Amino acid sequence: MMEENHLKCGFTDEETGSVSLPSVWRKNQQSAQDSKACQTVVLHSADVLVQTVSVSSSGSQTEAQDQEQPFVQGDHAPSAPGLKEFLQRVEDVVTRELVRNAQSHAFHGYQVKWEEPSQQVSLLHHLHPPCATERNLHVSCVSWSCTGSRIVCGYGRMDDGDWSTQSSFVCAWNLDRGVLSRKTDLMIDVHTTVTALSCHPTYPALIAGGLFTGEVLVWDSSRTLDPVLARTGMLAESHREPVYHVSWVSLGQKKEDLQVLSCCSGGKILLWTLNSDPTRLVLSDAFALVLSQIPHSSSFKGRGSSSSSVGVTSLAVSPWDSDTFLVGCEGGLLLRCSFSCQTLADISSSSEQAVPLRAPVVFTFTQNKGPVHSIHCSAFHRNLFLCCGTDGSVHLHSLLQADPLMSVRVSDCYLFQVQWSPSRPLVFAVATGQGEVHLYDLGRRSLKPSSVLQRDGSRQPSTCLNFNSHNPRLLAVGSADGSVCVWQLSAELTQQDTREGGTLELIANQVSE
Amino acid sequence: MAQLADVEETLKRIEAHKGVIGTVVVNAEGIPIRTSLDNSSAVQYAGLLQDLTMRARSSVRDMDPQNDLTFLRIRSKKHEIMVSPENNFLLIVIQNPCE
Repeated sequence: MMEENHLKCGFTDEETGSVSLPSVWRKNQQSAQDSKACQTVVLHSADVLVQTVSVSSSGSQTEAQDQEQPFVQGDHAPSAPGLKEFLQRVEDVVTRELVRNAQSHAFHGYQVKWEEPSQQVSLLHHLHPPCATERNLHVSCVSWSCTGSRIVCGYGRMDDGDWSTQSSFVCAWNLDRGVLSRKTDLMIDVHTTVTALSCHPTYPALIAGGLFTGEVLVWDSSRTLDPVLARTGMLAESHREPVYHVSWVSLGQKKEDLQVLSCCSGGKILLWTLNSDPTRLVLSDAFALVLSQIPHSSSFKGRGSSSSSVGVTSLAVSPWDSDTFLVGCEGGLLLRCSFSCQTLADISSSSEQAVPLRAPVVFTFTQNKGPVHSIHCSAFHRNLFLCCGTDGSVHLHSLLQADPLMSVRVSDCYLFQVQWSPSRPLVFAVATGQGEVHLYDLGRRSLKPSSVLQRDGSRQPSTCLNFNSHNPRLLAVGSADGSVCVWQLSAELTQQDTREGGTLELIANQVSE
Repeated sequence: MAQLADVEETLKRIEAHKGVIGTVVVNAEGIPIRTSLDNSSAVQYAGLLQDLTMRARSSVRDMDPQNDLTFLRIRSKKHEIMVSPENNFLLIVIQNPCE
């Protein structure tokens, strides 16, 4: 009976709901919520095509003002009251001073030394690019840039005799930057020998150069990728023989319009412009020297027949007269030419020339005994110029007569270049084949060199020299061992004396009747 | 005009003296009104010398207030510049003295 009273109790899980206790102290931090939405308006787009039917373009350019404008007078006369009375008052005083001044010897021989005079001529820099010695190249030409701080040198070998395929280069050093590193500032590779170089007179970056193959190039050293700005190319009308001289001349109406004048040993003198086609030098004028058209050349034996051309080895443009230029030839002929002559050259050419060749010769000077290597016109007297060649003498000529005014015997060897000093009217420098550079002062009575510049231990010929017109105490000399020396001249060689202009006049007036 | 002729005559007489390279007459504003040189040189001379003359005049008067500048001469290597100053005008004569 007891077992039946056992209740069956089953244990089951019972679920009660969850209980939540809200927090008394914690609050919901969200204060306010606001939702906004925006949508751009639908974009309207439309396509329209336009085509120009006619095009016209025009340019405008300010013209440089003419520097030598005649002074316009007369407008101010009525509006300057008291001018007449003023002049009457001061005329006596001024006249008295003028007369007294004209007779006074108060300052006779009085010199003021503004700077410490340096009596020494010293070698400032000796610049030598390493690749020149490997390839055994000479310095063929040096040129200072117009700012006077950079010297540009062209390299090459010119004594090989035959057509050389050796590549050379043009390099430049910037001397104002300090030459401690001796690194070249600019190096342009050229495929052949550079025979002539000239820096632009106003843009420091432009350099004109002539090559052994007859090409004329203009480099722009501010361009990093390809410094060649323009070239002539090998056309029928361009040079076919080594270009011995290039220079920048201004012949047009505007003074900034500079053209490149080049001459070669084929007898042609060509004038190139840069403006129209930016990558090519365009021929604007051409001259040819033909033996039969040179006056008084009967004693000259040119190569071949009398109708053959005469090779040009040097050229100089007169700074006083933009029409005159002087030409030195291979056989020693020294000629005065004019840009404005009209006679056509007596050359039979197989192809039609776009620019007709003209014969420019006006006057023949006394013949030299060998090729004329260099001519330079004086910047201080309109009639004087110097020339030198292989006969070892420097001749001072006047434009007015055929014979030289004076001949200075420099040495027994060849003379490669002669140049007047830009600051002293009576001083000139000559580069000789023995490596010395002689500086002569015509004001001295004896014609011995007032200074001889020689780098120790070098007997290699000095092939070219150039005065720095910005800083006339610097003279750069290039030599056949591939190095360029920059000499600093003494004060007496560079500072002008008061009486030099007069002495130069006297020398120039020695023209025989 | 008679006045104009007189002015020109006076200047011609001055320029005819031995060694005279050129003359410039400058007005009170520093503008050359008569010159025998070219325009750019005349303007350069006028500008530079008017400044110098004013400076010289003030130096003289600073040292002695009773004193005043009567004439200015500048001797250079190549020539001599003579300046005649006034309140309204300046006469500049450039001469190459004999040596």
